[in-house]
Amino acid sequence: MSGERAQEDLAASSSGCSESYEFSHAAAKAAVAQVCESVGYEHFKDPALESLAGFALQYILQLGKTAISFANLTGRSQCNVFDIILALEDLTGDGDDDGGGVSSESCSLGRSVKLKGIVDFVNSSEEMPFSQPLPRFPVAISKKKMMIPSFVEIGETPPGNHIPLWLPAFPDPHTYKETPMWIERASDPRGDKIEQARQRRKAERALLSLQRKLVCKISSGTRVWGDMDGVNEDEGELRSVPPSISGEKVESLNRDGLSVVEAFAPAMEAARDGFCSEVDTEWNKKKKPDALSKLRTEKKFLGEPLDLSLKMKGEDRPLSFVREEDRDDKRRRAEFILRQCMENPVDLNQL
Amino acid sequence: MNHGQQSGEAKHEDDAALTEFLASLMDYTPTIPDDLVEHYLAKSGFQCPDVRLIRLVAVATQKFVADVASDALQHCKARPAPVVKDKKQQKEKRLILTMEDLSKALREYGVNVKHPEYFADSPSTGMDPATREE
Repeated sequence: MSGERAQEDLAASSSGCSESYEFSHAAAKAAVAQVCESVGYEHFKDPALESLAGFALQYILQLGKTAISFANLTGRSQCNVFDIILALEDLTGDGDDDGGGVSSESCSLGRSVKLKGIVDFVNSSEEMPFSQPLPRFPVAISKKKMMIPSFVEIGETPPGNHIPLWLPAFPDPHTYKETPMWIERASDPRGDKIEQARQRRKAERALLSLQRKLVCKISSGTRVWGDMDGVNEDEGELRSVPPSISGEKVESLNRDGLSVVEAFAPAMEAARDGFCSEVDTEWNKKKKPDALSKLRTEKKFLGEPLDLSLKMKGEDRPLSFVREEDRDDKRRRAEFILRQCMENPVDLNQL
Repeated sequence: MNHGQQSGEAKHEDDAALTEFLASLMDYTPTIPDDLVEHYLAKSGFQCPDVRLIRLVAVATQKFVADVASDALQHCKARPAPVVKDKKQQKEKRLILTMEDLSKALREYGVNVKHPEYFADSPSTGMDPATREE
């Protein structure tokens, strides 16, 4: 049925409208078209359908207005069925023979012609509900939330006795005045101290691991020098270079070596003290100058061992989360080998 | 007194019939949806939490529209059928709701929706209606 199609199109177009009037008007058009279809019509001309829908809406509006006026006349604010019946009579009462007067008797079912007609209509006509599901409208835009709350709702006292409490509250002073802005950070001295101590410990650990690597390189000398065969050749070449330059290099390296070991000296001390081994500290204090000399004599390339240690440090970083037993073992080994080196200085010089 | 008693009884009967009718309204779903009717009634100031009254208004409006439409249909059917050109073409009339039929139907209800005529439709356009033959 094209009537149905037209009705469906109307309903579909109505869902796309944003204005509430257009939506309700389109829904009314669809409903009126459905009623006309039940009467017998198959097709509709749009102007005719529009005007008929407008009339139907006007009918509803007029009915409501008249009914509420009747209710207000009797001192009520809400309508009841008799108000509606009276309004119906008021709208179309010309057909009555008795002058069309609205009397109290016409409120009853027996007397009211219009109501009888409606009853007959309900009984006779087929029930045909609205075909499209209609959403609940008008959609309430939460305007209440956008409303400014009153003084009572906020709990403020208005500045001045002349302002009643039920009026909307004044805006906050920061909206119209420049007030100082503080970024308040909660001070936590204890937390700060803990954080600081943690960072210091971290730095100390890093330094210790670096120092350990250096010592390992010195102590486990054969392994390291074995890897650096090419480097040994370079060492030979460097030796062939005029001794002044090599001397300079050695001096600078010595300076570097000195600075490195000097830097680690306090950390080493702290580590040794931490392990509570007095003998070791004494021995290390004695051995430090020997270690220094070893550095001077053995390391002929500029900065190479440092780079090595740094590279090794990078590779060993996952391992540098040291267990204390490892540290102890390595330290003991380092000391043992240093002792050996001391006893056999000749062998090292030959390397 | 008897007359008063009788009228009293009649009133009771009427009230009972009214109550019964309102109850029956809940079974009958009007074509015009309740939400729509409630929206327009609220526009005019009518406020009622009772659904039956809303349905009553909806049914009344439906009856009104049905009456107008049926009158227009009568007018449409009463108009002579168009000239049949083909022999095959049956005497079928396309029942279309037009402004002409609607205006004729609404005139009985006291509503004037006469479409203004186009200037060049007929030679009598724009002439005084009293002189025109209708």
